[in-house]
Amino acid sequence: MINQILELWRWQDLFSNWPRLLTAFGNTLQVALLALLLSLFLGVVFGLMSTSNKLLLRGISRVYVEFFQNTPLPIQVFFVYYALPYAGIVLEKKLIGILCVGIYTGAYMSEVVRAGIGSIPKGQFEAAASQGFTYIQTMTLIILPQTVKIILPPLVNQMVNLIKNTSTVAMIAGLDLMYFANSNATNGYMSYGPAYLLCGVLYFFICFPLSAWARNYEERLKKRDSQQAKELEKVEEVVA
Amino acid sequence: MKKLFALLLSLTMLVALAACGGDKAPSNQGGATTGGLTPDAITQRGVLRVGVKTDVPGFGLLDTATNTYSGIEIDLAHKIAEELGIDKVEFIPVTAATRGQLLDSGDIDIVAATFTINEERKASWNFTTPYYTDAVSLLVKNDSGIETFEDLAEIKIGVATGATSKAALIAAAAEANVTLDEDKNFEEYASYPEIKAALDAGRVQAFSVDGSILAGYVDNTNHIVESIRFSPQEYGLASKKDATEWSAYLENLVTGWLADGTMAQIIEDNGVVASFTE
Repeated sequence: MINQILELWRWQDLFSNWPRLLTAFGNTLQVALLALLLSLFLGVVFGLMSTSNKLLLRGISRVYVEFFQNTPLPIQVFFVYYALPYAGIVLEKKLIGILCVGIYTGAYMSEVVRAGIGSIPKGQFEAAASQGFTYIQTMTLIILPQTVKIILPPLVNQMVNLIKNTSTVAMIAGLDLMYFANSNATNGYMSYGPAYLLCGVLYFFICFPLSAWARNYEERLKKRDSQQAKELEKVEEVVA
Repeated sequence: MKKLFALLLSLTMLVALAACGGDKAPSNQGGATTGGLTPDAITQRGVLRVGVKTDVPGFGLLDTATNTYSGIEIDLAHKIAEELGIDKVEFIPVTAATRGQLLDSGDIDIVAATFTINEERKASWNFTTPYYTDAVSLLVKNDSGIETFEDLAEIKIGVATGATSKAALIAAAAEANVTLDEDKNFEEYASYPEIKAALDAGRVQAFSVDGSILAGYVDNTNHIVESIRFSPQEYGLASKKDATEWSAYLENLVTGWLADGTMAQIIEDNGVVASFTE
């Protein structure tokens, strides 16, 4: 492995394939981005459902979460790719990636959202109700803004996991980064060292900015909170 | 500053990890001195470790009920062990994607796993004279109507990750003035059963790999296209690049067996058609 990484000609050979590399990188980004949107949407919807007081909604959300959390993602991808065509449903590979990874991660995000809402003191709901806020208003104006700070770190963990999990589409020849790495590691000069190292570095460059941004944003939110608290104290002092 | 530190830390760990991986190889060679693996070192160790296929009837097939291997490459491994004066052979299952790495890491002594010899691979490993020559073929559904290279231009062809069949098929089609695109016409899968599943599900319209391997996947819904047989695939025993003495030893054995008819006998015993000649 280390020998291959030190051989310059292998790197030149790998980069001579740059149009394929670029397509692969683009495909991974595309699948990751769309799956991210899908999973966030599903996470919020099912997270809200699981905190609802209607038994049916809670039940549906429970089934969704348990089913997708407790079956491996590769099996889900294999099922959609190999089995659904027998039922006449032939989905395109990129779409399979977006749907499978999005729905799978959505289940985890829904749990994060549920835990976030659960951590808000009951008094907040009661206060909102006493002021005549509807359910939608309570959630969007009072509860969810408070949960954001709490759920941001675990939510970003899930996002980063999602990006890395898009590599499962390589198994169904998804033309993504992992597929490109596999392909280069096993064809031609079989330069597996450079191929996998480059692949890892590229995933890092997609994931790192996201987690760095999230950490920053979380700090900013916390700072703003403490500032507001100080200002409130000042006001209280003046009033007193 | 903090971010830079984090980045540096992760890079350091990566390098440390890679270095650990690199150290593993020499310690695994069972007391071999510089210059790589030697036949004596293997005899001393008392066990020959061979990377083989588990899913190729006639070459390397694992019977999961009895946990025993059979095939040409299995017989070859036993014969080599016999020459070394040891009776223990450890078979390690490999795939097209793992066999090179396992050789380099020192986990196995030889790859005998339908490993096709080509110039590019010779840059990374030592190969013996081919013990068997196969040709690439196509397996298609009976109702597909695929018969010529022209029929291939519009379809998807399933190939194994790391098999030479993709490059060989592109070249053979080009000779027949048909252009096949690496990404548009081909799908790479990790194993042969997966390609078969993709063929059955209609994800690919043809399954292309060496004919001897394809023979194991023929059933009443599909057939091998007889008009398309191309690109001789020469299978050789591969060993680590720096193991010069060991590879010379293997080369000597294989050429000997080819000359005295032992090899032909092994091929016949395993019910495999004789080597392909153009």
